Amino acid sequence: MSKILPGTKTTRMELLRLKNRKRLAQRGYDLLKEKLDSLIMEFFNSIAAIKQAREAMEESLSEAFSALTQAKMIMGPSRVVEFAHASQVRADLRITTRSMMGVRVPVLAVQQRYPDLPYSLVDSSARLDAMSTKFRDALRAIVRLAEIETTVKRLALEIERTKRRVSALETIVIPRLEATTRHVKLALEEREREDFFRTKIIRDRIAAEE
Amino acid sequence: MVSDKIAVIGDRDTVTGLRMVGATQHFMPKSPEETRSKLLEYFRDPKMGLIIITEPLAKMVEDTILELSEAPVPVILLIPDRYGPTGEYETILKELIRRAVGIEIKI
Repeated sequence: MSKILPGTKTTRMELLRLKNRKRLAQRGYDLLKEKLDSLIMEFFNSIAAIKQAREAMEESLSEAFSALTQAKMIMGPSRVVEFAHASQVRADLRITTRSMMGVRVPVLAVQQRYPDLPYSLVDSSARLDAMSTKFRDALRAIVRLAEIETTVKRLALEIERTKRRVSALETIVIPRLEATTRHVKLALEEREREDFFRTKIIRDRIAAEE
Repeated sequence: MVSDKIAVIGDRDTVTGLRMVGATQHFMPKSPEETRSKLLEYFRDPKMGLIIITEPLAKMVEDTILELSEAPVPVILLIPDRYGPTGEYETILKELIRRAVGIEIKI
């Protein structure tokens, strides 16, 4: 038996108000439940997407590493490192957000600024160019994975929150409103019976006096 | 619209490759303590958007990563190093999902 809302008056006015509140709570519950269902669906879709993005990332990264090894073999490891540090390429992350079922999820994009001559052409090998391209693709794949992963994390958080609200409505708010409605109804009926008897007794008394 | 930086914590090859394509912040740690302190330093930088860390290094500071991953920004992402994936990534993602949703999910 749930607790009765404190401070409820047993009047018809209150009964009407309680019924309205219960209707509202029920509607909120239905809506939230629907939201939870679609969030979970979205969540599983994103999990599947993560798997794909992960595989793509691993593949392009391993290609990039083999290109790096080739560049090292041609130019020597320390030269490659030197070129890498001298590289004029700059990558920045551009973060915007979009809304997915009321959850703000990030959209990430890499912005890479390429100077016309990122490094000395004379001293570098074509392998270095190949490696650079491969790593650029890898970075893109990494950023894409980061985007999906963040989406999944946010969705998980939102699912948790929605779940808590749904169960609060289901196990506390609605039963409490129902119990209070019952209480008010019973009290009203009781009063009606009392009134009925009172009038009956009075009627009998009046009849006896006459 | 925010433009953010990308940081890399990894071994020599990873850092070299990603430095080549423009990750300006990078670090090659020699011990787990260094990894942790650098991770925290990058994490506290308000202009940081993405922290890339290689799986073997991440394994040693798993608890720190789990703790930091609860915040939405910056994103901390694990990548395999040149010896291929170790499965550490799945471990961390699974744990995060388990904490949030309360169920184990196969990835």
